[in-house]
Amino acid sequence: MSKKLLILVLALCFGILPMRAQSIGNVQMDEANLYAMTKQMGQFIRRFNYEEDQFGNQINPKDPSYRNTEKRRQSMAILFDQQTYGNQPDLQRYFIEDVTSNDSTFMTFLGGRWYSEVSASFKYKGKNVSIIMILGVEKEGLGSKWVLNNIYFSEFNKLFPTGEIAEKEKHFLHPMSHELDFMNIYKIFKEPEVIEYYASKRFEPDYLTLFFYEIKKGNLVFQEVESVKFHVFQIKDWYFEVSWFNRMGSNSGWLISNLIYISEKEKKDLIKFYEP
Amino acid sequence: MLLLLAAFITIGGNTSCKSKKRLAKEAAEAEYKARVAEAVRDLTAILDDETTWTLEEKEHRVQTIKDWNLQNAEVDDLLFQVEKKLSRERAQAAQRAEEERRAAEEAARAQQPKNVLERNLASIASASSTTQANRLINETLQLFANNNVPVLIIITQAGGFNDYDKPTTIENYLNYVKDQKVNRNKVNDLKFNDAGKITEVELIKR
Amino acid sequence: MKKILATLALVVLVAGAAMAQDELSFERKQAIDSLALEKVRDLSKYIKIVGSKETAWSEANRVIDRAEELFMSNAEIGVSSIASNKIKYYKVRPYFEHLMRLNYDRVEIEWYNIEYVSDLQRQPDGTYVGVITIFQTFRGYDKEGNLAYKDTTKKDITVYVKRKETQIGGRMIGFWDVMLGDMRVKETANK
Repeated sequence: MSKKLLILVLALCFGILPMRAQSIGNVQMDEANLYAMTKQMGQFIRRFNYEEDQFGNQINPKDPSYRNTEKRRQSMAILFDQQTYGNQPDLQRYFIEDVTSNDSTFMTFLGGRWYSEVSASFKYKGKNVSIIMILGVEKEGLGSKWVLNNIYFSEFNKLFPTGEIAEKEKHFLHPMSHELDFMNIYKIFKEPEVIEYYASKRFEPDYLTLFFYEIKKGNLVFQEVESVKFHVFQIKDWYFEVSWFNRMGSNSGWLISNLIYISEKEKKDLIKFYEP
Repeated sequence: MLLLLAAFITIGGNTSCKSKKRLAKEAAEAEYKARVAEAVRDLTAILDDETTWTLEEKEHRVQTIKDWNLQNAEVDDLLFQVEKKLSRERAQAAQRAEEERRAAEEAARAQQPKNVLERNLASIASASSTTQANRLINETLQLFANNNVPVLIIITQAGGFNDYDKPTTIENYLNYVKDQKVNRNKVNDLKFNDAGKITEVELIKR
Repeated sequence: MKKILATLALVVLVAGAAMAQDELSFERKQAIDSLALEKVRDLSKYIKIVGSKETAWSEANRVIDRAEELFMSNAEIGVSSIASNKIKYYKVRPYFEHLMRLNYDRVEIEWYNIEYVSDLQRQPDGTYVGVITIFQTFRGYDKEGNLAYKDTTKKDITVYVKRKETQIGGRMIGFWDVMLGDMRVKETANK
């Protein structure tokens, strides 16, 4: 790589002189942009932890610059979608300050609590539908693999609406039903839309099972993947979403598209969807 | 020694004839004893490998002692042992020299195909046309026992041992250099058959 | 006592297995990364040779053979454009043959100087898997020499790395078998 280009990349990475760079020429401009792009989710993790330098070269763990706090602090802004966070830099700054002030806030591939959201189109009984699949990394054997944790399909959710308590209270089998040989049980089946009110309070609909069932029955047929994003709960007191930004310029690739400060206690409830 | 003898003669110049004879006899005896002592010392040293002499110097020394013809049992015994030792050393030296000569010859023989191979790999990588590259490949294949001679490529020695790429054959490797137009590896080691053809190639990343 | 010993032995065994799992030094990992990258560079060269209109048909076919050898037998190439996110799937040989038959008078294929190598992660059977990202610009010209089509694509190539052994000249040679797997070809934005 030419020296000129090197300086350009450096400048782009740290947000200096973004305009003047264009005079250098298209190919070099493209190349500099591609350097700046967070090209893989793995690169997002390495950049987040400062395990590679701004040119994408891996840093030897024995090197003092490996996971260097100061360098991390300086370079982390490139991991944010600047169209969102450039306008409201406070949250971004607070996040960077927080994760770089404490040693335990590194992201690791096998560290758990990060998930992939894969939106895909399916044919459901002949109709085009969109389904979200949630996948997680699971350790197995000598390594690991991505596994299906949950799915979101509006048709399934419609089947189990959150009912009103007053309505729920109307549907039950009285406690002496057993003495009548459950002659009243037929009532359960008269109103299928509320059948789950007759289940134990521990009952939680298992959408993954429904999904497998519909696939096995041939009612659901996979078409194609539409988009992919990541949800990261691994960092203490934070949740963020990472999305793919396919665009020109020095702020592209896998970037933080949503960031929320959230206590670990609150996280637990949220994670239930990603890892039921 | 001779000087000492001359000194004795000069000093004893005024004494009687009888005493002169006695003195001469005593001097001769002294000289003989000194030579025996010297011979025993040197021969023992040779036998115990305590000299810094070369094999030639040792042989020369032994010859000198033999020429003194001391007729002393101890010296004769030592001479016998030393000569036996030196003839053994002489044979070993000859063998070593022969081995060195053969190794040098082998190295020279290996060096030549190694150089030719290095040169040809570079030429194939930079060939101006496919035809030229193919001609060079055919020429290079002549150095080998056959087209399937294994080619090993060392990628790193960082683990304290060799880590290799997947082994390939010389024909595939030469075509690979042609297609990729890069000569990424240098020749590390070659093995030959009796006919002087290469039977194994070990390359190493530059 | 026996029980304690057995437990201890088990702990040692498990610890040993865990250590053997992923204790490649940084330097050895780097050498493997470069080896994987070399295979991807080889692939880029083959794409260029096959894509070039100056390559003779027989030569292109021989090169396709070599390119095919770089891939696992079941590898697929998934191509999408900005206009359509729909992924079109090709097997390796048809992908190259498609490239060979493109209807332009002249084709320029350029590779950017950017190669990104992911970490190698192990899959359950112990094989290492990585992804190497490269970028390519393709230009097709018509008879009059006018630019008829241009795109820049990001190519994410799966790399499988497995430690194997083979006997050569009476001794065991430990080597890293690098095979390319599925390749995702995605058009990048030009604005």
